[in-house]
Amino acid sequence: MGELFRRYWQPILHTDELPEDGCPPVRVKLLSERLIAVRTPEGEYGLMDEFCAHRGVSMFFGRVENGGIRCPYHGWKYNANGQAIEVPSELNNSEFCKNVKLRSYPLAKVGDLLWAYLGDPQKQPPLPTWEFATVPSGQTFTSKRLQESNWLQALEGGIDSSHVTWLHGGGPTGAGLEADPLFAGAKGNQYNKGDVKPFFEVVENEGGLLIGARRNAEENHYYWRITPWVIPNFTMVPPRGDHPVHGHFWVPIDDENCWAWSFDYHPTRDLTEAEVSAMKAGAGVHSKNIPGTYRPEANKDNDYLINRHKQKTGELFSGVEGIAIQDSSLQESMGPTVDRTKERLVATDAGIIKARQKLRRVVEALRDHGTEPMGNVPEHQNIRSVAIVLPADQPFVEGIGDGFKAREGVPQTTV
Amino acid sequence: MTMTTPNSVSACARAVTKEEAAYRIDYPLAYARSTRVVALDETAEKTVRSVAGGPWGQAQFYTASDSGEELITLDGQRRPMVMEIEHSDSVIMVATNSIVSTAAASVGAACRERSIMTAGLLLLDAGALDGDALSALRPYARILLVPADEEDLFELLKAIRA
Ligand code: FES
Ligand SMILES: [Fe+2]
Repeated sequence: MGELFRRYWQPILHTDELPEDGCPPVRVKLLSERLIAVRTPEGEYGLMDEFCAHRGVSMFFGRVENGGIRCPYHGWKYNANGQAIEVPSELNNSEFCKNVKLRSYPLAKVGDLLWAYLGDPQKQPPLPTWEFATVPSGQTFTSKRLQESNWLQALEGGIDSSHVTWLHGGGPTGAGLEADPLFAGAKGNQYNKGDVKPFFEVVENEGGLLIGARRNAEENHYYWRITPWVIPNFTMVPPRGDHPVHGHFWVPIDDENCWAWSFDYHPTRDLTEAEVSAMKAGAGVHSKNIPGTYRPEANKDNDYLINRHKQKTGELFSGVEGIAIQDSSLQESMGPTVDRTKERLVATDAGIIKARQKLRRVVEALRDHGTEPMGNVPEHQNIRSVAIVLPADQPFVEGIGDGFKAREGVPQTTV
Repeated sequence: MTMTTPNSVSACARAVTKEEAAYRIDYPLAYARSTRVVALDETAEKTVRSVAGGPWGQAQFYTASDSGEELITLDGQRRPMVMEIEHSDSVIMVATNSIVSTAAASVGAACRERSIMTAGLLLLDAGALDGDALSALRPYARILLVPADEEDLFELLKAIRA
């Protein structure tokens, strides 16, 4: 699986984390590798082995200087590519330098994020073109939170459509999604409420799967909500009305932790101040984090601030506030890596079963035949989620057509 | 004590570490009570046949008669459909573009009346998706895989411990 992830650019830092030229370096752990990210005084980004080649000091304590970063222990200096450029403790300086290099990876800015590619340089895919990262910066907002579980059980939550009406639907007396300023007022919410037992259709798509949930709409029509999954770790939530559209990246830190990146963007307009402040406050898919960190305030140490009173009265189905924490509380409760041999899946979990199988296929094809996986090219990345009402007998793929494609200046397909 | 106070010290250890998560009672999982796999046309029957030889517990495999009133076992016995699905907890319908829609409708309706969980697999090989086949199956399958293949059926049965 690690090899598969090395075929993709993955989001690793928000640009705010390296806010200016020559700023302090930042520690990054990704795919179980401990790295250091730097921004030189000249504005060059670099991502390299966290530990100094000399005696293993963490370069987090390094001093960012012109052209690179210097280890505070004995003064070895590296450029943004991890190449040693000064080894003051050695006499034969330049000759010695040539042979000292920290493993480094490309780090690129696309949108408000910094993306890393940890794979074979010969096979480096084009830079990511995901719409949330390529629209003008006033139209998009991205947050991240630490999820203390394996990335796959987090991703599976994005594919597990049948949990939405339960966990996020609000309890019997709750307002559910209508209570959230980032969802309220959409016509689609009425269909959601009117038919709480959706049917699902899982459709093959070039870059992964399309997971459609359909509910009854007007006579002979269905209301469809379609979630794309792009291999390996990108999902999007279907839109509601003219609200910004959101989605996630689940990026493996190691086997037991991942970054849950959550984005919200509008394809054709700036986000309003009210929307941005709601997002910052942790509404919608975002979370309220402990200031100065990416760990949510509601976390496993405080039982996610579960409110048993609201759970009992039915105001909140699980008693936990907010979509993001509703998901993380339950996904982390399974343990850092859930024991799937103890699952008792049912026929309606076919979407999850299919996704696992697809993932296994691409991992094996890459391992055994070097087959390049899907999802790392613009054709697969220029995708959108969709909410639409269609005639009952129409395949949704046909009814939606280009609605799945990210197209500059064209609004999302939504109800 | 107010009900909003979180349990900062839990009565039992939480599964927050790998070690803690491993303390799950170790006992064998039961097979699904009885899964019924029903081919809704002749082409689908071939796939159902080839998967039927797998390591299944209580799953049973059939082809539906054209009316759907009977289910035909793979060795050719005709049995009343309603009797066969009555004690089942999930019915998996397998079809292709040549789906017999009357069969789909009667099996599907019988499942719905009895609240039996349903899934549908539409096998397309290289063929295009046919709207008629889709509408014949769609109303009756709580979840539908489009397209699906033999491996999907195998993996689904394996995952639900059929
Ligand atoms: S450990 Fe870094 S220079 Fe010696
Ligand atoms: Fe969720």
